[in-house]
Amino acid sequence: MTEALGRLVAKGVCKSFGSLPVLDGIDLDVSAGRTLALLGPSGCGKSTLLRVMAGFESFDAGTVTVDGEPVTGPSPTRGMVAQAGTLFPWLTVRQNVGFGPRDRGDRQAAETVTELLAATGLSDFADALPRQLSGGMRQRAAIAQVLANRPPLLLLDEPFGALDAQTRLRMHEWVRGLLAERPTTTVLVTHDVDEALLLGDQLGLLSARPAKVVALRDVPFGSDRGRHTLADPAFVSLKAGVLNEVLEAS
Amino acid sequence: MSDTLAGVAAPMGVVVTPATAARRGRRRPRRLLGLIVPLLVLVCWQLAWQWELKPRTIIPSPHEVLTAADAFFFGERVAGLSGVVYFKGAGWSHLATSLGRCGQAWVVAVVVGVVLGLGLGLSRWVADLLDPFTNALRAVPLFAWLPLAAVWFGVNPTSGKILIFIGALWPVLVATTDSVARVPAAQIEAARMLGTPRSRLWRRVYLPSALPEIVTGLRLSLTLAWTCVIIGELGGTTDGVGAMMNAAREAGRTEQIIVGILVFAVIGFAADRLLRLLSRRFVSWSDT
Repeated sequence: MTEALGRLVAKGVCKSFGSLPVLDGIDLDVSAGRTLALLGPSGCGKSTLLRVMAGFESFDAGTVTVDGEPVTGPSPTRGMVAQAGTLFPWLTVRQNVGFGPRDRGDRQAAETVTELLAATGLSDFADALPRQLSGGMRQRAAIAQVLANRPPLLLLDEPFGALDAQTRLRMHEWVRGLLAERPTTTVLVTHDVDEALLLGDQLGLLSARPAKVVALRDVPFGSDRGRHTLADPAFVSLKAGVLNEVLEAS
Repeated sequence: MSDTLAGVAAPMGVVVTPATAARRGRRRPRRLLGLIVPLLVLVCWQLAWQWELKPRTIIPSPHEVLTAADAFFFGERVAGLSGVVYFKGAGWSHLATSLGRCGQAWVVAVVVGVVLGLGLGLSRWVADLLDPFTNALRAVPLFAWLPLAAVWFGVNPTSGKILIFIGALWPVLVATTDSVARVPAAQIEAARMLGTPRSRLWRRVYLPSALPEIVTGLRLSLTLAWTCVIIGELGGTTDGVGAMMNAAREAGRTEQIIVGILVFAVIGFAADRLLRLLSRRFVSWSDT
């Protein structure tokens, strides 16, 4: 691994839809390889912020840069996974995961895809269509599809929101393992405090609309996080505190 | 890690939905049910002939029709004279001619319809340019084109092909335009984010995403095309199933006319089934 890539810096990002202000001067700095979990009341503009970072939405003021490069439009260097997933229903799992590498003319596409299918536990389902997969498998495939481009930055917009609690916990453990092997700067938007504390190195708290960053702190847990962490007294009290803050922000 | 994953993945398997299971289970009895009406019609027909409700030249017996059909396809063919419409042994060649005419015009209509539909669905500019024009033309009843085509080309297979083209064009064009315009924005965004260049979006996302609906348009247009083929065979030719039927009408051979009708029915039905079978291969991902 050469020098880690993917430092994300947002400075004074403002955006409004018509006369409705949504983002009100967002400042963020995520260093390369770290995971920032963004929590906030529903409808506060979390998803809009992520879409701005992905380059899907324009913004009115401020700057967003990745490794110093300003974000101007969607790019394979910034992979985004939405709650509903982004798999193409007419392609098999293998073709979906290989979609990006193929269109970018990546010569090692086949190896990358095979390796990612194994890492996502989908090798046996490589030739299945998305509709034949369970919800959890579908989201794993969607994440693999984005990671196949080896993006320095990964944007996750409530990617496990539609899954049941057990599947979601499994996915959290799985994502931790996956990202540990592939250091990728990650911004995770969620309304699930457990998810934020299990996956984030940093925790950002957004206010109600228009969104501002009201608190930014490090998450005091190491890389060894999983289902056992949920019972850790330190985790429980931190969760209670954060939940309180989220509720007060809304 | 991989242990837990295998644990999640294995019991899921490939999902057989209750809907598919129900469809499979119901297929057999349904098919038998579909035979009742044709059998009933056959019985009534036989009785109508037996009781001579109408002169037997107007209502021939099912047996006469069957004999005529046998002669049409398997009879011994006499040496051809130009200007004569042959019946005995000429079945296959009439059928091939009609299929050829229909197929030619249909394929042209499909290509034009899909290309134009992609343009209308993808480009605001093309849509603004062509929408009023195509919508006005689409409002013209298909057979209103016939008098004009007859003046320009005569009542002959060329006019027939033009009618087939016009008739088959609209379903394909409308299906393509609508479905391309309805491709979810999320799919386009996903492709752009994954690195698909704009110039390849139509091939990577728009066309495959719209394909199930386009195929429905193709099926509709094929049915229409097959309907129109007879129009062009009412004059100016001695080949084709339509020409045979027209000659049979002039000769008062009702059983031969009915053979023609049966040929149209069987071929139309078979073509639709074939297209459905082929399309299942390509659009099996959609539930339609």
